[in-house]
Amino acid sequence: MWPAASTWAAEATAVFVKEWRCELRTRYALSTLALFAFTTLVVVSVSLGPLGVARSQGSAVLPVLLWVILLFSVAAGLPRTFVQEEESQTATALRLSATPSALFCGKLAYGLTVIAALEALITPVYLAMMSLPVRSPGLLAVALAAAGYGLAAGSTLVAAIIAQARSKGTLFAVLAFPVLLPLLLLAVEITRDAVGGDPAGVALTQLILYDACVTTAGLMLFPAVWNP
Amino acid sequence: MESLTKTILPWLLWLWLVGVILGAFLYAPPAVGFRGSSRILFFHVPMAWVSFVAFLAAGVESLRYLYGGRAPRHDRSAAAAVELGLAFGVLATVTGALWAKVMWGAYWNWDPRQTSILVALLFYAAYLALRAALEDRETRARLSAAYAVLGLVVAPFLYFVMPRMAEFTLHPEPVINRTGKVDMDGKMVLVLMSSLAGFTALYFWLHNLQCRIAELAERRASLEGDRP
Repeated sequence: MWPAASTWAAEATAVFVKEWRCELRTRYALSTLALFAFTTLVVVSVSLGPLGVARSQGSAVLPVLLWVILLFSVAAGLPRTFVQEEESQTATALRLSATPSALFCGKLAYGLTVIAALEALITPVYLAMMSLPVRSPGLLAVALAAAGYGLAAGSTLVAAIIAQARSKGTLFAVLAFPVLLPLLLLAVEITRDAVGGDPAGVALTQLILYDACVTTAGLMLFPAVWNP
Repeated sequence: MESLTKTILPWLLWLWLVGVILGAFLYAPPAVGFRGSSRILFFHVPMAWVSFVAFLAAGVESLRYLYGGRAPRHDRSAAAAVELGLAFGVLATVTGALWAKVMWGAYWNWDPRQTSILVALLFYAAYLALRAALEDRETRARLSAAYAVLGLVVAPFLYFVMPRMAEFTLHPEPVINRTGKVDMDGKMVLVLMSSLAGFTALYFWLHNLQCRIAELAERRASLEGDRP
């Protein structure tokens, strides 16, 4: 039985606010994600050398590296949302105070805002460092928004799964990457379209469909994952 | 009568498979343009098929576990299906790579079907890693079932996205090609269909054995747990 909409929205908002309040106390996720992403970005640019990638290959290779940096950064910081609940033994209190679907949506909204902040920070720096011109900035923004949402939805569910297991850190990457691979491929395809100034193809529709499917699966499976 | 069936059926299965091996090498002619290497088809295709059936069965059994009263037998069945699917999937990948080396000159070509099966293997290897990281039986069953269902939701995207990633494929057409016709010698079709039937029966026999072994192991573990 679903609770009244106002109660449900209040619960989801409370979870979202609580996540940000905890985050602003320690700034763990934000600083870890930003530092990890920036370090990876520097490693990538230094490894490519001062010449970078040949202009003819840049539009094919550089979108891949951007999404790999974002994916690994998310894997480094986002699982903590659920792991922290288990480690600090607040999971039971959370189970009592919010319905699973509201909790999932609250955590998803938190993950989404963290990823949006990360993308806003990293993407302009990456484009500037790699001297990668984007002919359709609007399409790039849509790709970042849609793929960022998919990353948040997939990561939230997988983070809830690994929070109850041993060796949580490595397990997240092992479990999440095969789930997020279609999203990564679609995001790269749309980013290439944005860089080349081509119109969005069927990849954007498929990415939105992926987001919808993962969200539905998350809402459907989360009660089973969360409640013992 | 039951024990007689249990004794005779495995022998009939082994006889059938010996017949398939003899048929593959002595009865079926080599495919035009593929020389003797085409005989790998009679083993490679059934292995890939069994792997697909096993992964699908794992998803269905996981759904039955989560939404069908959480009976442990569904969890055992899903885990056994994944183990067998992985074994047959690895065999299909290896036989495919060997054939690719003979025909295309390289073991790995990032062909859409090679990539799809590789990602599927990664996903189900992650499923087993998750199971290994969870000690409590009920938690293990619940979380791994949720992960398997997530795989069922995400997998179709790979089948739509992967073919677009590769500009061309050297992989032969499926047995039933795009025009809906079987473009193959009659003797080859007979051996291939017999092999498909034999391998499918082999899968169900091995799956049954695996489930029984897992049930006995669980009973033994619970008896040892009861000991003072």
